[in-house]
Amino acid sequence: MYPFTFTKAASTHEALNAGRRGGRYIAGGTTLVDLMRETVERPETLVDISGLPLREVTVTERGGLRIGALVRMADAAAHPKVRALYPVISEALELSASAQLRNMATIGGNIMQRTRCTYFRDVTADCNKREPGSGCAAREGHNRTHAILGTSEACVATHPSDVAVAFAALEATVHLMGPDGERRIACADFLLRPGSTPNREQAIRQGELITAVEIPALPRPLKSGYLKVRDRQSYEFALTSAAVALHVRGGVIREAKVAAGGVGTVPWKLPAVERHLIGERPSEALWTAAAEKAAEGARPLEHNRFKVELLKRTVERQLRIVGGTK
Amino acid sequence: MSPQPQAAVGAPLSRVDGRLKVTGEAQYAAEFDIEGAVHAVIVDASIGRGRITGVDTDAAEAAPGVLRVIHHGNAPTLPYRDNPGSNNLPGRKLRVFQDDRILFHGQPVAVVIATTLEAAQHGASLVKFGYDAERPTTDLAEGEPGRPGNYSRGDVEAGLRDADVRLDMTYRLARNHHNPMEPHATIARWDGNRLTVWDKTQWVPGTQLELSTVFDVPLDSVRVINPFVGGGFGSGLRCWPHTVVAALAARETGRPVKLVLTRKQMYFGTGFRPAYEYRMRVGSDRRGRLAATDQGIDAETSSYETFTEAVMSPGQMLYSTPNVRQSYRTVPLDVNSPIWMRGPGAATGVYAVESAMDELAHELGIDPIELRRLNEPAQDPSNNAPFSTRRLLECYTIGAREFGWDRRNPKPRSTRDGDWLIGMGMASGVYHTAVAPAQSRGRLNANGTAVIECATSDMGPGTYTSQTQVAADALGLAMRAVDFRLGDSRYPQTPPHGGSMTMASIGSATLDVCIQLRQQAIRLAVEDEESPLYGVNAEDIVVRNGRLHVQGNPARGESYQRLLTRNDRTRLEANASFSPPRGERHSISAYSAVFAEVAVDATLGLVRVRRMLAVYDAGRIISPKLADSQAIGGMVGGIGAALLEHTVTDHRDGRIANAGLADYLVPVNADIPDLKAIYLEGEDMQADPLGVKGLAELVIVGVAPAIANAVFNATGRRVRELPITAEALL
Repeated sequence: MYPFTFTKAASTHEALNAGRRGGRYIAGGTTLVDLMRETVERPETLVDISGLPLREVTVTERGGLRIGALVRMADAAAHPKVRALYPVISEALELSASAQLRNMATIGGNIMQRTRCTYFRDVTADCNKREPGSGCAAREGHNRTHAILGTSEACVATHPSDVAVAFAALEATVHLMGPDGERRIACADFLLRPGSTPNREQAIRQGELITAVEIPALPRPLKSGYLKVRDRQSYEFALTSAAVALHVRGGVIREAKVAAGGVGTVPWKLPAVERHLIGERPSEALWTAAAEKAAEGARPLEHNRFKVELLKRTVERQLRIVGGTK
Repeated sequence: MSPQPQAAVGAPLSRVDGRLKVTGEAQYAAEFDIEGAVHAVIVDASIGRGRITGVDTDAAEAAPGVLRVIHHGNAPTLPYRDNPGSNNLPGRKLRVFQDDRILFHGQPVAVVIATTLEAAQHGASLVKFGYDAERPTTDLAEGEPGRPGNYSRGDVEAGLRDADVRLDMTYRLARNHHNPMEPHATIARWDGNRLTVWDKTQWVPGTQLELSTVFDVPLDSVRVINPFVGGGFGSGLRCWPHTVVAALAARETGRPVKLVLTRKQMYFGTGFRPAYEYRMRVGSDRRGRLAATDQGIDAETSSYETFTEAVMSPGQMLYSTPNVRQSYRTVPLDVNSPIWMRGPGAATGVYAVESAMDELAHELGIDPIELRRLNEPAQDPSNNAPFSTRRLLECYTIGAREFGWDRRNPKPRSTRDGDWLIGMGMASGVYHTAVAPAQSRGRLNANGTAVIECATSDMGPGTYTSQTQVAADALGLAMRAVDFRLGDSRYPQTPPHGGSMTMASIGSATLDVCIQLRQQAIRLAVEDEESPLYGVNAEDIVVRNGRLHVQGNPARGESYQRLLTRNDRTRLEANASFSPPRGERHSISAYSAVFAEVAVDATLGLVRVRRMLAVYDAGRIISPKLADSQAIGGMVGGIGAALLEHTVTDHRDGRIANAGLADYLVPVNADIPDLKAIYLEGEDMQADPLGVKGLAELVIVGVAPAIANAVFNATGRRVRELPITAEALL
């Protein structure tokens, strides 16, 4: 670990000032501290924001949900409004990490977490994300857990978050506060595909602070849920996952929100699947046909070819679980 | 001699050191607070083969707190006297910082010593090496095998030729790492020419000998202390390079040095269970009588040492096959040396043999248990020795009944529960019973307590507890009156704490020393005119709760305390030196039958173990509660090997691509279902004076094939590779 200074921000204003001067924000620290120990991250100044008043979960005027950036994963998962309105969020959170980590890690930190690619986390390996221009050891290396969607020549690492997959499905927005004021950005635009600059992972500016994630209101009744497929049954990242929310009225799917995890360089929204569902009546055949579109554009690597088929089956299974068979 | 009443042995007692452990008072190697200790961090080679061309330590040496950086360019020449003991392997062991050669990715190339751990870590990250890198060979399939070890009986070619049914399978097993909870760690301190190490080890005398030869100091100048081991599974059976590095760093800085391997470093700083390829050709008649097996075994070893283990044994002696041929080749690779890991050899060999038996049973349409019964040998077919005890058939019978084997549908992919395909599988297990010479000493104090000392270890099986049970009964004392001490090279010599031989070997020495002490006390009493036992035949005296009395007449007697005090004896002392008997030659092994029920997601390919049951023929069970801990732990380890554990090497440069518990998956609680263990009541007095056959290794053996066979029964898909992961079942 490289030496660093540590300050605790007493107010949002103080945090923004420290951030503008180059400070790195730290909340739960469950990703950042690990990476600092591995010298992957070498911040000179850490600004502890965990005391800031960003811990509220509120229902918005329109019936959506606003989750403060510093709400702990465990608290968000257990919140009655989250459970009632968006089970997909609770489920994604509860299937993440371990209880100990969920008690520390925050919602803002969760979507900022960095990839689990082992080459990224090993400073002796080539990694364009960690060291631009050094190459990508994973492309031709051990890449069983890597992405099949949204990859580039420069990077094939997955985004590891579960709840960000739910956020992507639900078309959440990220609320940011910076030296120049507040702004909102769609989740889909917040997390960046690697392209030729995999070191740039979020559309966040130096010193900007995530204040909340807002989930828009959706027509009710809404059924939603999250399926995570992984080698072991707990405390493990997804091989594939699917977040699904469906609004069915009069026997017809009126609204469908679907995204996949474990397969993309960012949480992977599946608009083609959604389009295939809307206006149709739930049926086994529909789930199969819709899921068939889940892996469109997939570019598998040597060890992760199975993810193409597994992704389709994961989406199909979760459509059935959420949508029922009739 | 009247038999001592059995009170502690066989009773389901809790660990005597349990309280120390759960309150954090048990001190593990790195936890000793040694005055003036500084910290060392090893720098690992970042190439897989080649030479060091340069080293830049300027930044590291300039960093605050850094005391010294030692590497091949400035390290003293170490004597490394020849030492064929200490579980060293044939070959030329890795000598730390003695030359510029890189033999594997992660080899220690420097050590940074600093006043704090953080300063040492940071210093280590600042040391820069230049390398002339070559492409390493790390893939078992690409290496050049060495000369094979061969075994043969009968005529295999004829046996296969004349067989009604012939099968030809190749099984592959991934490399596995032990991953004990406690990282390997050493604190080293020199006092003049005397070296003390607090070191995580499963062989205190082995580490003592190794350090004395590496540094060329007298054996009794080296002291190794290690009262607690936080899991080992074999990873502590050798003195690894980091222990030498710690001692070297302490000598060079003149300060006590603490060195703890990171979890990552344990993937190349200690050993592993090597990857295997096991080809199995089987021939049998239509009724299921095995005619011949032809077995070709290839395994990883390092380029500098040859590691072998008893992988051939199960394929020779589990069944009465008349014609058997085996060829076992090690393949030298640019990797660090393997080491024994729980169920060494047997876990691997049994996986291949028991998978093949399941395949044959399916091919023939015979129940897998029936097939095994048909081929049960009357004596050990590998050497024609009589079995001391072999109760495998009983294991099948009881296991099948308790598990509900009759509910298994032999037709694969025929049982479904929603999205899940359900299957049952079974496998036999075997592990050779090993016993080794062991010494022990004991004192019976005038206050009615006893102290037993020997240099063994307790890596988790409960040595403290089970030895105390043996001692308590042999002395006729309560458990709490016995203080069993281990983990110090000043205590009498013991064999490695591994191979399931601790109970048999140390236990026999403990038993011997305690019997001697009791007999001394009895003799003292019967010869003492003031004793109520004066003149009684010594054979008629037993001791219970610290009181000697006439067998059948508890009123006539007195306590150890009173006897010794009256005789002005502060203590009685005894030494024991146990040597395994060399009497009639028997084939002595522990056996098991393992049953598993799995559920496989029909579309997602996920395998979940639903329940497991194992029946053990392990001789006498000294400590049922500890035995259950062993059995459950072994089954969990087997589930890991079957479904999760896989050390991945990037063959381009030899790096371990998943060196950490986030990426090398071991089972978590959610993966572990109801596990049940049953022990056949009995003892094997041919094995050792306690009648035990060893349990700790056996309990992982047979687990993986039972699961793999259940996966086949569930899905109809035969996966011949461990671990079995989702992609194989999609």
